[in-house]
Amino acid sequence: MKLSRDASAVLETSMRQNKISAEVCQELEELVAMMPDDKKLIYQNVDSNPVGDLHRYSVHIRIQHLITFTTFLLLAFTGLPIHYNEAFWAIPLNSMLGGLEVTRVIHRTLALIFVVAMVYHGLTLLFGTLRQVSAGKFDIRRTIIPLMKDVRDFSADMAYFAGKKANRPDMDKFMYKQKIHYFAAAFGNTVMVVSGSSFLFPEFWNSILPAEYASHWQEMMRLSHPHEALLALLVIAFWHWYNVHLAPGRFPMQWTYLTGKLTREHQIEEHFIEYLRNLVELPAERQYMRENLLKRGLAVSEPVRNRVFEEYRKTILMDAPKEAAMAEEPGK
Amino acid sequence: MNITRLIAALFGVVLFLPAVSSAFEDDESCLMCHKYPKMGRVTEEGVQKSYYVMPEVFSRTVHRNVPCRDCHSYIKELPHKPVKEGVTCNSECHSIENPSTGKPFSHAPIYNTYKESVHGREKVAKGPDADKPYCITCHTNPLYNKAEKAPPKEIVERCVVCHEDEAFATKWYNHTSRRIREVKRSSQEIVELCSSCHADEEFIERRLRLAAKEGRELGRKFPYAAVAYQNSFHGKVTKYGYTNAANCLNCHASPKNYYLSVHELRPSRDPKAPTNKQNRVNTCRQCHKTADENYAAIDPHPTHHKEDNKFNYYAEIIYGIVGDIALFGLVGMAMFETFGRMRDGVNWVLRNGTSWRRARSRRRKKKLQ
Repeated sequence: MKLSRDASAVLETSMRQNKISAEVCQELEELVAMMPDDKKLIYQNVDSNPVGDLHRYSVHIRIQHLITFTTFLLLAFTGLPIHYNEAFWAIPLNSMLGGLEVTRVIHRTLALIFVVAMVYHGLTLLFGTLRQVSAGKFDIRRTIIPLMKDVRDFSADMAYFAGKKANRPDMDKFMYKQKIHYFAAAFGNTVMVVSGSSFLFPEFWNSILPAEYASHWQEMMRLSHPHEALLALLVIAFWHWYNVHLAPGRFPMQWTYLTGKLTREHQIEEHFIEYLRNLVELPAERQYMRENLLKRGLAVSEPVRNRVFEEYRKTILMDAPKEAAMAEEPGK
Repeated sequence: MNITRLIAALFGVVLFLPAVSSAFEDDESCLMCHKYPKMGRVTEEGVQKSYYVMPEVFSRTVHRNVPCRDCHSYIKELPHKPVKEGVTCNSECHSIENPSTGKPFSHAPIYNTYKESVHGREKVAKGPDADKPYCITCHTNPLYNKAEKAPPKEIVERCVVCHEDEAFATKWYNHTSRRIREVKRSSQEIVELCSSCHADEEFIERRLRLAAKEGRELGRKFPYAAVAYQNSFHGKVTKYGYTNAANCLNCHASPKNYYLSVHELRPSRDPKAPTNKQNRVNTCRQCHKTADENYAAIDPHPTHHKEDNKFNYYAEIIYGIVGDIALFGLVGMAMFETFGRMRDGVNWVLRNGTSWRRARSRRRKKKLQ
């Protein structure tokens, strides 16, 4: 397989960060060379455990997702009957949950848990990043931060869906769709917390705002809270649940949110660059892929050369004397 | 045995019925004519009026102890002359004494307060004033309901030590306890009452036309107030029966003496009105203890009408557009994605090993070759 520029760049970083040896580099080069250029052939011909094969989310992220979605749904069920009080379902739904005197307590308590989950998430990101940086394994391309590559990926993916390209672009751990979703949710959560707090503490919010904006601020918050809630609920019901439950290949459920693992076929299809990282990091995965390609007769007989491996070998040759010198130094 | 008892009971009820009707002592002989259900007429305006008095109903109302001619004081002989104005609520009751002053009882003090308010009008009002409420628009002559079926024994026992007559003590207890417990309409009832005029589009239209004709300025929020309140946070939770949120009167009536001030509602341009700019902070502080000038600047029931609140009007439109684009854009993208991936053979299967059909799509292969 001829690796794309993006894939080569990440592979080079990954090999360097993992300090892999010349032998492993050789093994990787052979494995990549064996892969067919048509990526579809790979992901359509691998064994996938529906529960997940390869690590994706830490236990913290999974807990945050569980807290956020349970509190979000209950917040919506206790809040929407108040805004849409004229709808036929509003009064029955509110009574079913215990009436206003009960739901207002539920709503505020859940809101607090919701905020705690947001803070917990912020801390996870902070400490996770610090740990990666200190281990020398941080790579911005592996994070959720949007980059120009996402715009290119988006247009390339649309071209693939339209039938104008043979393969989907090589995408990283978080593809453009997930980045849109993440920032939509992060923005939405912030809007909900700010607007909700301006209902709970209107005196505070208005004491820090200039008088001429005080009324419009409250009006905007009153508009934002239900609009954002409804939009989030609809986006989750019709888009997110479609993507993770109903879409072909994901049906009936992606187990990732519980197991933290992604299926192999899914990772190769939508996160090929992350899969290359896995090949670097996991000897067992290299072995599986090699055997799988040979077993199914997909291994390419005339391999193409990828310059990334040669360059990596050059750097380790250059670094080797330095490292040897550094190793000797304490002995002097 | 049971059937005999039942028959006896029914017989007793039939025997007892005339006794109930005669509970009302018709000393003034009004029922001589007014006992007939067909007693009535059609006015010159074509309105059907009934003058029928049901003694068994009247004898249970709050005015049951007031003789007819205390209020209908213009009746001097029988049969009486045609009635011009009818009963006004500021007349004096000749037979009921106000125990606090020793003078004849009268609703005149509260009536005079009401007359000065924005709602004040004469009993017989024509033209613009006809839209305003008279006393009986809000206060009917309701049935008298005791606060409890039987007053607490230990209280009555204590009363009769000096007041001797147990019937008097019971009556007095009921009168007082009822007023201590239930003197206000509920928030929901207040909103409903105010909305019966202020949310009536025909009424609003009529008042707007009249004000324009007279060159008079109406409050900015006059046309929307009631509906805007129902859509506000206070209005929504009140609808659900929450009692701690402000209803119309909590802000529009002065908090000094609620029972008096609900009768002297004033427009916000009046410096005495609690909704006037000078008084707003204090009005808000009844509940929002730390409210300041900025807080009082909040419109508690804003509208989204272009002519009233441009900001809200455009904000709502923009929110709608952005929401629709986000939702339909994302769902459209997911559909497009499914369509694209299905061409390459992805399947809706209970995944077991793979989601892909082994045979690859020939269509795309051909197209790309």
